[in-house]
Amino acid sequence: METKASQRWLDWAIIAVMAVIGFFMLLPFAWLFSMSFRTVKDAYQMPPSFFPPRLDFDNYRAVLNSSVPFLRIYANSVEVAVIVTIGQLVTCTLAAFAFARLNFPGRDTLFFVMLAGLLFPAQVTIIPIYLGFARIGLLNRPIGLALMYLTSSFGVFLVRQFMRSQPKALEEAALMDGAGYLKIFFRISLPQLRPALAALGIITFTQTWNYYFQARVLLEPQDSMTLPIAMDLLRGYLGSGNLALVMAAMSMSVLPVVLLFLLAQKMVIEGVAMTGIKN
Amino acid sequence: MQVAVMRQASDLQRAQALNGYLFLLPSFALYLAFVLAPVVVTCILSFAYFDPMLGSRWVGLDNYIRFFTDDRSQQIFWNTLRFTIFAVTGNICVGMLFALALDRKIPAILLYLFRLAFFLPVIIAAAFVSIVWSYFYGDDLGVINYYVIRLGLSPVHWLTSSRYAMMSIVIMDVWKNAGFFMIIFIAALQGVPKTLIEAAVMDGASYWRRFFRIVLPWISPVVFFAIVYASIGALQVFESVVILTRGGPGDATRSMSIYIVESAFDSFEIGYAASIAVVMTIVILAITTVQFLASRAWVRH
Repeated sequence: METKASQRWLDWAIIAVMAVIGFFMLLPFAWLFSMSFRTVKDAYQMPPSFFPPRLDFDNYRAVLNSSVPFLRIYANSVEVAVIVTIGQLVTCTLAAFAFARLNFPGRDTLFFVMLAGLLFPAQVTIIPIYLGFARIGLLNRPIGLALMYLTSSFGVFLVRQFMRSQPKALEEAALMDGAGYLKIFFRISLPQLRPALAALGIITFTQTWNYYFQARVLLEPQDSMTLPIAMDLLRGYLGSGNLALVMAAMSMSVLPVVLLFLLAQKMVIEGVAMTGIKN
Repeated sequence: MQVAVMRQASDLQRAQALNGYLFLLPSFALYLAFVLAPVVVTCILSFAYFDPMLGSRWVGLDNYIRFFTDDRSQQIFWNTLRFTIFAVTGNICVGMLFALALDRKIPAILLYLFRLAFFLPVIIAAAFVSIVWSYFYGDDLGVINYYVIRLGLSPVHWLTSSRYAMMSIVIMDVWKNAGFFMIIFIAALQGVPKTLIEAAVMDGASYWRRFFRIVLPWISPVVFFAIVYASIGALQVFESVVILTRGGPGDATRSMSIYIVESAFDSFEIGYAASIAVVMTIVILAITTVQFLASRAWVRH
């Protein structure tokens, strides 16, 4: 049987090992960031650096002034992520209210049908969507990508589960007083959902910011691209030697997601843990 | 009197049902338009030769027969399954080890830093980190090979040899995703009743014996969920392969997702691409069903 002292010693040994592993986990990001500050001519010089050698923003300016419409691409990414996040918050909350709080024929079947959406990969929906968008002129427009994701089975599921864990006494009392469902939804249910909405919002924004497969199929001209697909293009465009420029572009591209994570780490992690447990 | 009450009750029910459908409408209409209908259309297309100019025609099972008899598509199919098996195993095992390591009393500031270090790769796009790793894995100017050479070893062809390319992609995938499973497993581990563990400690059961006999069975529903989730993600692997190896060398790392895009939008064989997508979906459904049945049997046990 382990004694208390040896157990404590073991705890600290494990924590030390995890600290070393954690350090290595972060190295690719340290490299990315430090590369973005290297001058273009010694971008490939060895040894690699993991700390910025100097802090001037030449490479960042060079990306913005390059022939690639970087700001336009950035704006596309923001547009898609914001529209999708707001869209999902609205549609998923409304649907979750119906599934968690209202009784109607076919409710459980409909819920099951929506849940099945978790099993259909984008690969099996993208071809008809591509053909349809081509016909109605939504191809090569960021808004088309956003439309695809205005609702999600995951979001409906997440909010419904959270809502079911909340007491519904207040809602029932309001109903007795003759309040309409819309009023109950906005006045009573919605304020209770704040933690679930924050988690869903952050997860959705991050996910949308990172979409690659769908974006690559639907958005071809440079002007219509989002950041993840543009980054691969930049690699060729800025000249194969301009590693430092690509890393500067990348630093700017990951910024919103990193900031969001630093500001709301707890919420992100609780949201993820919540979805894992509830399943 | 009673009739009036009953009518009032059924009016309320009707109002509630009507509201239910209305609240559901936006979400369900979008789901129908962008998920259900496209899935059905893809299934239909998979039985056709699609040509909007010269006219489409039915070809029965030809697309599927081609997929399962063609050597190249066979290799791509097995590549995808191989990647899935390695990536899922790696992610679940490493995620579980990390979770066990962090499931103890840790000062709050350290815990914050650990979560940061292990979860940051999860939230950054695979497209971005793959570009970074492509420089790490480079043959001559690669960061890893620089240190390999410094250690006096011969450089490894991480991405350019068909022996190592797939493993290199798996390693990056585990680096990127293990933190996600770590978070899920930590939450699950914290739900294991302390009294159960303490009783086992009293009985003198070793740490690993406690883990396999008590902890793992207790959190098995979460582990099953994690395996399904990881499999669904791994089967769709796309950008990490596209960016690191472009599917090469040869077809050594080409995945079904890449093959779908190339077939559909480069050679415009829509029907054939649709059949590959349907096969991928069936694999996902099969894995989910098997895990579901297995977990029901296991959890009851």
